[in-house]
Amino acid sequence: MSPPAEPRATGSPTPASPKMAFGRMQESGLVVVILLLGVLLTVFSGSVQTPVFAPGPDGLPQRVYTTNASGESVPATVEKNKFLNAQNLAQLAKDTSFIAIMAVGMSVVIIAGGIDLSVGAIYALASVLGALTLREFGPGADHILLAPWVGVSIGAFVCIGVATLCGLINGGLIVALRVHPFIITLGAMAILRGIAFVTTKGQSIGGFPPAFRELIRYEVGNGLSLVPLAVMLLVTVLGGIFLSRLAAGRRVYAIGGNELAARFSGIRVERVKLGVYLISGATAGIAALLALGYYGAATSGDGQGYELNVIAAAVVGGASLTGGKGSALGAVLGALVIQMINSGIVILGIDQNYSQIIIGAVVIAAVVLDNLNTWLARRRPAASA
Amino acid sequence: MAFLEFDRITKRFPGALALDGVSFAVERGSCHALIGENGAGKSTLGRILAGVHRADSGEIRLDGRVIHPTSPLAARQLGIAMVHQELAFCPNLTVAENLCLGDLPRRTLGWVDRAALRERARRMLAEIGADIDPDAVIGTLSTGREQLVQIAAAVGSGAQVIVMDEPTSSLSSGETRELFRLIGELKARGITLIYVSHRMEELFALCDHVTVLRDGRFVATEAIAATNQARVVRQMTGRELLVQTPAHLTRALGDEFLRVENLSSPGHFSAVNFAVRAGEVVGLAGLVGAGRSEVAQAILGLDAAATGRVFVRGRELKLGAMDTAMAAGLGLVPEDRKRQGLVLPLNCRENAALAALPLLSRAGWVDRTAERALVGRYAQRLRVRTASLEAPISSLSGGNQQKLALAKWLARDCDVLIVDEPTRGIDVGAKAEIYQLLDELAGEGKALLVISSELPELIGLCRRILVMREGRLAGEVARENFSEHGLLEIMAGVAAA
Ligand SMILES: Nc1ncnc2c1ncn2[C@@H]1O[C@H](COP(=O)(O)OP(=O)(O)OP(=O)(O)O)[C@@H](O)[C@H]1O
Ligand SMILES: [Mg+2]
Repeated sequence: MSPPAEPRATGSPTPASPKMAFGRMQESGLVVVILLLGVLLTVFSGSVQTPVFAPGPDGLPQRVYTTNASGESVPATVEKNKFLNAQNLAQLAKDTSFIAIMAVGMSVVIIAGGIDLSVGAIYALASVLGALTLREFGPGADHILLAPWVGVSIGAFVCIGVATLCGLINGGLIVALRVHPFIITLGAMAILRGIAFVTTKGQSIGGFPPAFRELIRYEVGNGLSLVPLAVMLLVTVLGGIFLSRLAAGRRVYAIGGNELAARFSGIRVERVKLGVYLISGATAGIAALLALGYYGAATSGDGQGYELNVIAAAVVGGASLTGGKGSALGAVLGALVIQMINSGIVILGIDQNYSQIIIGAVVIAAVVLDNLNTWLARRRPAASA
Repeated sequence: MAFLEFDRITKRFPGALALDGVSFAVERGSCHALIGENGAGKSTLGRILAGVHRADSGEIRLDGRVIHPTSPLAARQLGIAMVHQELAFCPNLTVAENLCLGDLPRRTLGWVDRAALRERARRMLAEIGADIDPDAVIGTLSTGREQLVQIAAAVGSGAQVIVMDEPTSSLSSGETRELFRLIGELKARGITLIYVSHRMEELFALCDHVTVLRDGRFVATEAIAATNQARVVRQMTGRELLVQTPAHLTRALGDEFLRVENLSSPGHFSAVNFAVRAGEVVGLAGLVGAGRSEVAQAILGLDAAATGRVFVRGRELKLGAMDTAMAAGLGLVPEDRKRQGLVLPLNCRENAALAALPLLSRAGWVDRTAERALVGRYAQRLRVRTASLEAPISSLSGGNQQKLALAKWLARDCDVLIVDEPTRGIDVGAKAEIYQLLDELAGEGKALLVISSELPELIGLCRRILVMREGRLAGEVARENFSEHGLLEIMAGVAAA
């Protein structure tokens, strides 16, 4: 009898593990999709004439004029690709950050086998309550007693605190009532947005401390907002560490993969579930805070339909709705795909109303492609063991 | 000419050559045993015949014609059915719906004819002598009963060839007897059976021929009458099997590590009292449904309705929380690896490290190097056959999954370890390895409680055997009085100890 051709037992640590390679492969697949989308948008978007600005004597940007062939003074323009220009990319980065931050939280929930439909509503309620607080310290308020940073901190605390609390309540209800998260968060979605509407009576709330707006709108280069981008990076890194390096993250995967087996491993399933909805709520609060600073106002209608974008981002990023699969980096890349499509719809001049249709189709395509990929991987004979 | 022929069947999975040019023939109307170590390729061969997998090369001939079972449906049309080792039903549908899923009785407009559905299911279940309610939801059945429904489905499909992949691994002894009677009947009807099992006695009692596979290769096909158990084991493993008396039996016992007082759970068991000392291996015998697993789960805090007192190393344990029980030093290898033991989307390493996670992490961070080392050590010790510990656990053969379910709790290093059917689906060679490992654990001063339906296993391993019947401790037998017959009598309530 000749010795077995394949390894029998593998006790030795494998340096490049197949699963990690596979994980990398999946995320690199997303990178390919993103590059492809970028190329397509660049090619098909065409170009625009944009006016040239230069710093004037007072330091503010001013239009540059040139004389044309007939000697008249006309605004100078340059031709730019509609998609591939610094301004558009900066905007894309900013828009992606808001969705991506929430998508990381959503991924955690989906990996645990749950779903959170209320993120958009949590975002709205956190925005509105944060805005009401911040307005008390803004220029319009008649009693500014505290230093601006104190006011901003209180506002930020309220905004993120409210969102986290909403997540905690979601999780608490799901665990205590043993109701499917779809139902609880669907209810929460309506209730929380209703509360936001009632508190604001449908009014827009603005007038925040200028320092707050300046901080979040801090830009470099051609309007690249650094703060949302940095926060997104931070959330991604923290989310990634949580999911792949911490014992708590491992428990999230275990619960999503097989709740009973997780229980039989001594994992406190209820506690972990509570935690994942709390995380999802908190990320909605962080996104809401950034948006407050960026847009300078909030209404109860903010974040309408965000749940679709956020869930789409997580799913496109590889999170499996049956639980047990997904990653933070995937969620962020998924958010970028979704935002590129949103932005492409604007740039290509497609009717805005089509955006929901297209995003819906992309989600389905992503899941189908993922299944196909798994299927292929199973079929494909290994080149070598 | 042979009825069913496998000709140079080869099948490669990512990282594993499951079958390497396997050829053998099966006679019509015979019961043909297929045996080999865990991961030898038995299930893969069955699945190829049943159209679940497709061979990379080679051909299958049925009655002289080359067949191509490209899907389970195609296989069924060719008259081939399979009873799978791992469960294969829709858990949310009823028994009747699952049994008739391929061909639901319909009335006009596609309405399902419920009465006809139930009637047909009842007939299929009656044919195999199974007492199962056709309206029960599959997910609520025990693994053993679900297995019976699978058998009913295969037999009822009118197949000419039936592959049974470890059909008895979760059946009670009564159900097993019923199955053996059925197999005899099927053979008399000229139906050809391919029977996979690790229980050597079964093969010798039931089958006419045996084919041995090893590492995906064909070793031999022999008439059962012309071979014997030792010879088959040698062909499977390439070595002799040493049966040793456990060393722990001669050692002195230590302190009382586990004490259970008046443990009850309404509807499951009542007033259970026993104790296990350090270095002791105690068996827990009983028929399926006697409440053995329920007692184990209640001790670990998995039964919220349980009452009574449990002491670990003299300190009373707060019942109802598994993590506190684990922190006190308790551990449990559950009986059902698919449902209770493993998380299928995770890989081998992550599964095996799940119970030991608190030991492997510092301030919440998992120490990956330590994790790999620990899991690797037990995987090597139990000779887990996998391309890599990073491979998805679902890609492992059933027996290898069971080994990892065991490794998960060995890695946890418990003072008191309860193992529930630890060797289910495990090959003879690896079984001996596991017995030796349990013996070593006892030698290290751990207290072990072994729940098993295989009496020879308990008799070989334990110092004492507790017997449960209908939710109560019906007796206790010391090693010098061990006998299979005596134990069976207590289990069935014929005699009291
Ligand atoms: N879907 C799969 N993907 C990758 N490898 C697989 C897959 N299915 C089986 N294998 C590998 O093929 C080999 C043979 O597996 P198989 O399930 O046929 O073993 P077996 O003889 O039935 O073992 P057991 O006695 O444990 O049930 C194993 O090494 C297993 O890891
Ligand atoms: Mg098998």
